[in-house]
Amino acid sequence: MTSYRLPKGGLVDRKTPLSFTFDGKRMIGLEGDSVASALLANGQLLMGRSFKYHRPRGVLTAGSAEPNALMTIGEGGRTEPNTRAPMQELYQGLVARSQNRWPSLDFDIGSLNSLLSPFLGAGFYYKTFMWPAAFWEKLYEPFIRRAAGLGKASYETDPDHYEKCWAHCDLLVVGSGATGLAAALTAGRAGARVILVDEHARIGGGLLAETALIGGVAAPDFVASALAELASLPNVELLSRTTAFGWYDGNVFGAVERVQKHVRAPLPNVPVERLWRIVAKQALLATGAEERPLTFGGNDIPGVMMAGAMRSYLNTYGVAPGKSVAIFTTNDSGYALARDLEKAGVALAAIIDSRAEGAAPGVYSGTARVITGAYVSDAHGGKALASISVFKGGKTETLSVDALAMSGGFNPIIHLACQRGERPTWSDENGAFIVPDQRKGLTLAGSVATTNGLAACLEAGAAKAAALLGDLGFAAQASSFGTVEGDIVPAAAKPVWSIPGIKGKAFIDYQNDVHRKDIGLAVREGYGHVELAKRYTTNGMATDQGKLSNVNAIGLLAEARGISPGAVGTTTFRPFYTPVSFGALAGTSHGKHFQPVRQSPLHNWAKKNGAQFVETGLWYRSSWFPRAGEKTWRESVDREVKNIRINAGLCDVSMLGKIEITGTDAAEFINRVYSNAFLKLPVGKARYGLMLREDGFIYDDGTTSRLEENRFFMTTTTAYAAGVMNHLEFCTQALWPELDVRLASVTDQWAQMAIAGPKSRLILQTIVDEDISNDAFPFLGAKEVSLFGGQLQGRLFRISFSGELAYELAVPAGYGESVADALMEAGKEHGICAYGVEALGVLRIEKGHVTHNEINGTVVPGDLGFGKMVSAAKADFVGKHMLSREGLNDPNRAQLVGVAPLDPATTFRSGSHILEKGAAATLENDQGYISSSCYSPHVGSTIGLALVKRGASRHGEEVLVWNGIRNEYTPARLCDPVFFDPANEKLKV
Amino acid sequence: MSALKSAFKIEHRAALGDKKSSSFMGVSLEVLPEGHVLHALSRSADGGLSGAIRTALGISEIAVRFVSPGQWFIVGDAALSAAELGAMTQKLGALGIDTVDQSHGRVRIGLSGEKATRALNKGTAADLSLAAFPVGHATTTLIGHIGAHVTRTGEQSFELMVLRGFAESLWDELCEMCAEFA
Amino acid sequence: MASLISCPHCGSRPKEEFTVKGAALARPEADADEATWFDHVYLRDNPRGLYDEYWHHTSGCRRWLVVTRDTATHDIAAVRDAADKKEAAQ
Repeated sequence: MTSYRLPKGGLVDRKTPLSFTFDGKRMIGLEGDSVASALLANGQLLMGRSFKYHRPRGVLTAGSAEPNALMTIGEGGRTEPNTRAPMQELYQGLVARSQNRWPSLDFDIGSLNSLLSPFLGAGFYYKTFMWPAAFWEKLYEPFIRRAAGLGKASYETDPDHYEKCWAHCDLLVVGSGATGLAAALTAGRAGARVILVDEHARIGGGLLAETALIGGVAAPDFVASALAELASLPNVELLSRTTAFGWYDGNVFGAVERVQKHVRAPLPNVPVERLWRIVAKQALLATGAEERPLTFGGNDIPGVMMAGAMRSYLNTYGVAPGKSVAIFTTNDSGYALARDLEKAGVALAAIIDSRAEGAAPGVYSGTARVITGAYVSDAHGGKALASISVFKGGKTETLSVDALAMSGGFNPIIHLACQRGERPTWSDENGAFIVPDQRKGLTLAGSVATTNGLAACLEAGAAKAAALLGDLGFAAQASSFGTVEGDIVPAAAKPVWSIPGIKGKAFIDYQNDVHRKDIGLAVREGYGHVELAKRYTTNGMATDQGKLSNVNAIGLLAEARGISPGAVGTTTFRPFYTPVSFGALAGTSHGKHFQPVRQSPLHNWAKKNGAQFVETGLWYRSSWFPRAGEKTWRESVDREVKNIRINAGLCDVSMLGKIEITGTDAAEFINRVYSNAFLKLPVGKARYGLMLREDGFIYDDGTTSRLEENRFFMTTTTAYAAGVMNHLEFCTQALWPELDVRLASVTDQWAQMAIAGPKSRLILQTIVDEDISNDAFPFLGAKEVSLFGGQLQGRLFRISFSGELAYELAVPAGYGESVADALMEAGKEHGICAYGVEALGVLRIEKGHVTHNEINGTVVPGDLGFGKMVSAAKADFVGKHMLSREGLNDPNRAQLVGVAPLDPATTFRSGSHILEKGAAATLENDQGYISSSCYSPHVGSTIGLALVKRGASRHGEEVLVWNGIRNEYTPARLCDPVFFDPANEKLKV
Repeated sequence: MSALKSAFKIEHRAALGDKKSSSFMGVSLEVLPEGHVLHALSRSADGGLSGAIRTALGISEIAVRFVSPGQWFIVGDAALSAAELGAMTQKLGALGIDTVDQSHGRVRIGLSGEKATRALNKGTAADLSLAAFPVGHATTTLIGHIGAHVTRTGEQSFELMVLRGFAESLWDELCEMCAEFA
Repeated sequence: MASLISCPHCGSRPKEEFTVKGAALARPEADADEATWFDHVYLRDNPRGLYDEYWHHTSGCRRWLVVTRDTATHDIAAVRDAADKKEAAQ
């Protein structure tokens, strides 16, 4: 005896059959089915196995709170485990598999666990798997890992894509049942921007299972015409298949739309899921209420389900639950199901009403046997319900039934309202946890706000929407919808937490197999606090997050502790309401689109010259330019370095930050942001500057040139370009708004290239119109130049990072590649080569020039030998006042020093530490560390720059370089950090 | 003068030179001419000068675009010669405005069609409704992870300006955002 | 997920468009004593409640703002341009 499809009724299309498979078995469903309703229609009651005890389970609900019927849908990279069967729309060719069973759903070896159940009670993992200790890694953990989890994720790449978006509205309505539709119609008709979301595929909520009439029209037809009207309004956005999963600061709601989870072959140019961030001026929560299970023995046997769910399967999907049905209820809503079952011709064996007085007068006029003041104490059956025990007045009667509906009352779905710290309170009157209707940004209406019955909900939705829109300045009329007939208004009933006469396991949390006795155990063992009981028993910790179990557990805890449910309280509510895929959260930001790519205007020039690139933040920088025959990067880099010191090289330095600073107070401003003097920098000159933080440590370094009296050009390092710009803006806007200073970031405006080497002037002069001889354009000159016979204007700076005769040429970015090509052409006969950051690094280390390897946030100017760059004359500059503190002037501070190995054939790595010769390798003996290192063709060995205690006065000292990670030791000598041309003769040529 | 100097033909390489304007159902992406983009910076964070700029330069309202209090972009399709740039700089100077050429620093992209707002809202949280963002309104915002200056040039059209270094990346992002409308 | 800041120049934008610097304290005078400078650089109040912070609208107008934020509720009580602070103080 089992569930089956009725010959008529429901919103499914009997003319469109869909074939699908369940555990390899081919079945037929209908267009409009969910996987759950299709399985029920095929008589497939058994849908899964429970987590711990591997008990046979069937579907309990018709919605997103489903704890039992969790399935793996799809194949390959599209495999999605733990999908709730009532929420998965059926499509042609759908592949569904049950989970957590082996070898099959019908014959699951795991069910042997139920024999071990006395040892698997709540908290068993705190008392077992502890001894012997060695068994943990070899035996217990692997075993537990295999047993843990429900579905299995796929390791194949997900072929689909996802996206994220923002939306704005005056009113967001969450839930499209009677209340939500009434609100959306009211607001839509008033011309407000409305977004209506519903987690189901069909708009209409509970109305889709209703048999009442609204204004003379059947509830589903009312929905259809409401939907048509809403769809026709340009100011209304309807998002079905969309779960509002979170309420965030700024009245922003997160929602996930299942755009293509209901098709077998998604369109490749459309996402399968879309994550919405909805900025709502006002929001209305019309999410309704979740029916509570009753806690009797065997309440998890396939065939037992929620009364409301049974009604949905009947009225929405045209599926009868069984041939002989019983209803166990604590309130009047169970009778609406009774009436609908009888109308559909399904035999109703009995209605068991826990209330001595039974239903209110006039509620039920059918012919089924009504047993009042009674309880179902146990359900019986293995893989399918066979009978129930009815307990009344101390006596038990057995009834043969194949389907049992239960209704233990209703929990308002208040989750979103509680996600920002608000706690619900227990209401004895409503037998539920509730929150106030009103709060800033979010209002509740309908059964989530304890309003009962269709007519009251329609009215409440319309009235609340009209009021909210009124506050926003709209002239909104609460819509009205005609008389409601045939509705049974379920008044709140007294909850029944404990049922007498139970023999079998009575489940609270279906997904984690937590049963009634676990709660008692938790209290006895001292874990009766609601937060402790949750973790001790795992109640409410599964993917359903306790939607059906939290309140029942609280009720039992209250009874066990002798206090009210309100005094027990709830655990903390947090987003997400239902699980959200990582795909949706990532949106398009993965793979090639993980982060933006920032390209230099000389990128193509570098590429066509064979550059190997390295990522520096978002930039791609050319690292070295291998030539045919070169087998390692060292060969290329050594060649580039040697060539630059003999001939010349061209390097792309476009990605360094460039800032144009203008205004009558520009010089004064720059004087305040650098530690050294800039006020009197002559027009046409460049100067190296140190920018400190307010605590005195060096923040960044760069070169600033004065192009005109009130126009400066500042460069920064690549990594700190954005930070420096923010800092300068802070200084002009927040600190010194009285200064006339204007800042523009021009990093992207200019392609900038370094031309370095003894032949650099010769090569440059071929394209620069002005005379750039040493007399005409000495070291540190900076000016605008005319190029190619006046075809182009550029800026030329005679500065040198390499220590060679060198220039940097800036040209408008769009011409960068062309100019670089010209220089390579002009330089061919002089042996020019392209070079990248590796060679650049070698050259600067040979010259003792520092980078952020040394400027690492822990050094002050004096540490790097830049003591003279701290102006004593300036009254104020950023960092001045903290520089004078004791610790920053301590002679024992780490100072910049050079390091070279005693034996040139040996080497060391950056990060290695310095020990005195003969000292033990301990942290106490640490003298400092190597901040930069490279192979130097000039020196003929590895060289390094290091920050060493009193380093400036220890030149010549023999030391030991210690690499504690690789256990390498290299005898070395400390020396002057300038390894090449210490007199700087090459610079001034 | 070297032979190279006079003989070498300087070539301009457009940032989106490899990209083609694309049309989808309800939305189009256009590679716009790089033209000119001048950053006009006044002394203080004070907004009142856009009218004076328009008058001084004899240009339309849409050519002067808000960047920040006291800052505007002056935008046009034609590339400026050094002389033209100099003349404009002088006129702006008379208003106390400093000029920084960003004609190469910013790249322009057109986005239009009835789905333009929907596509753009996949990247930005700014309210793009006509009421909140009327024709002529301009702002800077994040589109995905890339900052962009956005001007509404018509009821269903926008012009985006992005740092040259991010132009290709932004174009690719925009194509993704429009793909569902293919 | 999306805390919104209402920038006086750009309207409501998510926090990802901003850079937070920290407490909006006035920089001491150049000749203030060492203790005053130490406090300015290192010492901070940590109230449960309203707190003034410097926020930079980095991906927007690039103006520095003073945001008054409730550290317990995240409510933004006020946002003003940092250059307006003198008027606000009056």
